Amino acid sequence: MSENRISRRSVLATGAAGVGAALAGCSGGGGGGSEGDTIKIGVLEDQSGNFSLVGTPKWRASKLAIEEINDNGGIMGQQIELFDPDPQSDNQRYQQLTERLIQQEEVDALWAGYSSATREAIRPIIDREDQLYFYTTQYEGGVADKNVYCMGPTARQQLGSVVPYMIENFGTDIYTIAADYNFGQLSADWVKVIAQENGASVNNEEFIPLSNQSFGSTISNIQEADPDFVMAILVGNNHSSFWNQRTSAGLEIPMGTSTVMAQGYQHKRLDAPALKDVYGGFNYMEEIPTDRNEDYVSRYYDRWPDAGYANEESINNYFSIYMYKKAVEEAGTTDQEAVKEVLNGGMEITGDRSPEGDISLQGPVHHMTHNMRVMKCDAEHNITVEDQRRIPEQFLSETVGIDLSGPDSELEEQFTPTEYYDAAGE
Amino acid sequence: MTTGFGAAGMLTPLVIGDVLGALDSVGVPIPQLLQMADNIAFIALAAIGLTIIFGMMGVINLAHGEFIMMGAYITTLSVNVASIPLPVAMLLGALGTAVFGAIVERTIVRRLYGRLLDSMIVTFGLGLILTQGTRIIFGNSLQSIGTPFGNVPGYTYSGYRVLLLFAAIAVLGAVYLVFTRTEFGVQARATIQDPETARAMGVDTDRMYTITFAIGSGLAGLTGALYAPSATIVPGMGQSFLVESFVTVVTGGSSVLLGTALAGGILGTINAIFSNLYGNFIGQIALLITAIIVIRLLPDGLTGLAATIREKIGERQ
Amino acid sequence: MTDGRLPSRLDGIARKLNGPNTLGNSKAFWLAFAVGMVGMIAYPLVRGSYAAGQTSLFLVYGLLALSLSLIWGYTGILSFGQVAFFGIAGYTYAIVSLNLGGAFGQTVALPVAVGVATLAAFVLGYFMFYGGVKNVYVAILTLVVTLVLETFMAQTAGSEWAIGSVQLGGFNGIPGIRNFALGVEGASFSLSGSGFYWFVLTLLLVAYLGSRILVNSRFGYTLVAIREDAERTTMLGYNVKRVKLAVFTLSGALAGLSGVLYATWGNYMDPSVFTIVFATIPIVWVTLGGRESLLGGIVGTIIIERLRLWFSVNASEFAIVFVGVILMTTVLLVPRGILPGIRDGYVFFSEHGIRKGIERGRGTIQTRIQARLESVGVGGSETETPPSSEAVRE
Repeated sequence: MSENRISRRSVLATGAAGVGAALAGCSGGGGGGSEGDTIKIGVLEDQSGNFSLVGTPKWRASKLAIEEINDNGGIMGQQIELFDPDPQSDNQRYQQLTERLIQQEEVDALWAGYSSATREAIRPIIDREDQLYFYTTQYEGGVADKNVYCMGPTARQQLGSVVPYMIENFGTDIYTIAADYNFGQLSADWVKVIAQENGASVNNEEFIPLSNQSFGSTISNIQEADPDFVMAILVGNNHSSFWNQRTSAGLEIPMGTSTVMAQGYQHKRLDAPALKDVYGGFNYMEEIPTDRNEDYVSRYYDRWPDAGYANEESINNYFSIYMYKKAVEEAGTTDQEAVKEVLNGGMEITGDRSPEGDISLQGPVHHMTHNMRVMKCDAEHNITVEDQRRIPEQFLSETVGIDLSGPDSELEEQFTPTEYYDAAGE
Repeated sequence: MTTGFGAAGMLTPLVIGDVLGALDSVGVPIPQLLQMADNIAFIALAAIGLTIIFGMMGVINLAHGEFIMMGAYITTLSVNVASIPLPVAMLLGALGTAVFGAIVERTIVRRLYGRLLDSMIVTFGLGLILTQGTRIIFGNSLQSIGTPFGNVPGYTYSGYRVLLLFAAIAVLGAVYLVFTRTEFGVQARATIQDPETARAMGVDTDRMYTITFAIGSGLAGLTGALYAPSATIVPGMGQSFLVESFVTVVTGGSSVLLGTALAGGILGTINAIFSNLYGNFIGQIALLITAIIVIRLLPDGLTGLAATIREKIGERQ
Repeated sequence: MTDGRLPSRLDGIARKLNGPNTLGNSKAFWLAFAVGMVGMIAYPLVRGSYAAGQTSLFLVYGLLALSLSLIWGYTGILSFGQVAFFGIAGYTYAIVSLNLGGAFGQTVALPVAVGVATLAAFVLGYFMFYGGVKNVYVAILTLVVTLVLETFMAQTAGSEWAIGSVQLGGFNGIPGIRNFALGVEGASFSLSGSGFYWFVLTLLLVAYLGSRILVNSRFGYTLVAIREDAERTTMLGYNVKRVKLAVFTLSGALAGLSGVLYATWGNYMDPSVFTIVFATIPIVWVTLGGRESLLGGIVGTIIIERLRLWFSVNASEFAIVFVGVILMTTVLLVPRGILPGIRDGYVFFSEHGIRKGIERGRGTIQTRIQARLESVGVGGSETETPPSSEAVRE
């Protein structure tokens, strides 16, 4: 090695490369956001990486809502300006982009993230900046945070619709298989709680790592136990292999779920009859046979002809952007504290803005009362609505007793059922 | 079920059913046995393409998972779009990936021989491009094709998954024949052992490298094709094969065939036993821990152990 | 390079900093380095606290890259598991600081976390190097250990997985980690934004200069000797295993420090730090930056992470494709990495003069094109040949 021969210019270039690299690329810090004639909305939804299958419909529905609002005169005469970089299903990227959208673009409201892990990764930043944030995925429930509005149904709402239906129709002996992570474990706890409330019991429980894609032993175990029905809380691409394997193994026991079909549209992607006799508890699937929804679905596919599906969480993005519009108009300002104040008073979402049917925001707990349906998939993969009820968020509002609009207005927590129910966690 | 495998394909599960019935009557735990067959097949098939490329050429192909994905995509698209019968579509999947592998070798990998770690970075980059390119062109998922054959007669287990064990054995057998009994095999091994001499003897070494790389890629493609009817078809699907394949390659050691067969057998069995006894999580951890122990105790992998034993037996004689 | 005008102590330090094992030993290099440092120090004042906060993450990653340069670039041991020590330290910091609480807790948690990571590296290193694990097997073994950690941490969601008052949190990770603070209750200062940036910059500078002194010392010569030929180094009477273990442990400590800073940067730790994708990224940084240069890894990190962020903001779904293309072309065109590439380019031009240099460059390109055409077309060319698998394992 002969470094000593190198002289000034090479070295200056080298040093400069380092500094240049460090300093370049971050355009226009500070400033920004002072124009005042647009409303800035940040949408971070995955268009690549592991969650892109379920994230892309969310991004598309958000864009549809924003374009519709802009075409109809915007919010209080102001056009919406959208910031929508691709976080690539990567939590570090989410953290960087969340900082950027808040600090540099100074967005007035933020929609972000599919998984609970993502939400937890950015929640410290959200709370540090007191950013108005909408989380739209169906999730395990229990988040009580002054800045976070959870638009999707909770596990208790979803399972609360399908588990009682399954018990009534098939029997009381339940076998739960669930993804081995937070959401799956908490959902399994909720199955136990709801089973107990309805005189049934979970006699077998099996947790499956997210990376698992071979279900031979699981299927044999289910066959051996021969339950009345299975609750399958399976998540992600690897777990989708379960349905083909179950069908070719000849396992005919009816299955309930809160995580299959409505999110990753397995009934469209897998060859029939992989999802025969699967019953899901959801607030939305694109097959809901109402005029209001059919109208929405045709708008969605007009805008996105290549789209694969309008999934459950995409509709949550759609209605919540309209809900934000209504809140800003009521507050008369985009000032985030003022908008939160309005939202904390609760709100009804009606008409075309909510394709799933009329719903309402439970202001004190920042969650939604949804139209929960039991949807059945038949051997030809046709979807029918078997049951429909309005189910409010109950865990925070009734069991824990939270009021984010009053005494708990500084809360930034997530509560779990284990602390409140004996059946959970056993 | 539109399989196109014909009568022979339908007969096999029936034969298996009889055999299993006989085993069951003597007290063999059949579900566990089926699970074991499934796991061994998965591990051996996941690794075989990578083993050839690493063992024979010294290139760590981090795009291995994406080659598998490519095989699955070609197969699925052939069936869905062109209505080609499944077995032909699988062949196309393997061939298409082999051709792609040959192109990659000619244009990129060729420049990186002897730069083991650079080849890792380049193939990592290639993998990113393939995954995301697939996503951009074909969207986030493809309509999957159904799994043929139904269940193992008398048992709640997918017959197709069990048949893959026979596919794995056939693939290993074919690789063995190609590399030991054909003119190409002899030349390829000569090239790998001593390129200078091989060239002096008139072997076209460039061609040998290209063909070897193409075979490795084609086998990865075949793995994808074989799992296409049983997995979900998404751009990132190759990732789920990656860990098993790397673990198998290092556990197996330098001999392509013996190593893959031994490692596949041992790791698959351990994974199946622990999954059955203690659940899938422990099964996975057991697999990884076994790999760590094998690498620690046998720095040359299982093949190294086999070679040592052979030598010792030779000494005694 | 020292000319006697420096005071003797400074002279001594300068002597230790410079040597044949590092790129850039001339006075001009140090001048440029100083200019660069001034720029880096002034950066938050120019761009504001937010930009500093974003950039401090790249500097944190730079420490991780530096740890890999030491073990891989200088000693020739590819550790695929630097992120394991990074993650272990991050998790330990979270658990200790949240259990103890307060500024004092955070101050104590830093050395404890780095200590745990160091210990983990020592144990794994002892297990490997004294067990005869070598070469590519070290890479795969460290990777497998990382994956075990991922599988394990991802399923720790249940309430039974808690250490003290802190839930491990499974896939969702541990939220609510506080910004780093120094001091005790009542007399402490918390670091965020620009303050955190300067703190990380200082640590990185110290680590870099320390590493320079190390690799230019007798110990450093042993490292390079091991990289070039471990067998011969053993024959010359060096305890290769012990040296390998020492440098592996040291680089584990550096990776651990980086992990602690990472945890405090994002206020969050989750198992995604143990994934195969995150494990690959440091290798990419160091390869592109130039693995046989300590500064190269750091510069590579900053360039790549900036680019990745820039692309994800500006190139939507094509971002990942561009990153892939950049990785491939850089390795193919600048095989030794960016910094050594710049150095080589300069040496070339200064030896031959600009005009002659360009002429020679043109000549080389023509020869290469010819060679390529031949190799694709008629054949008979002498392309590089791969070594046998045995050679790879040497």
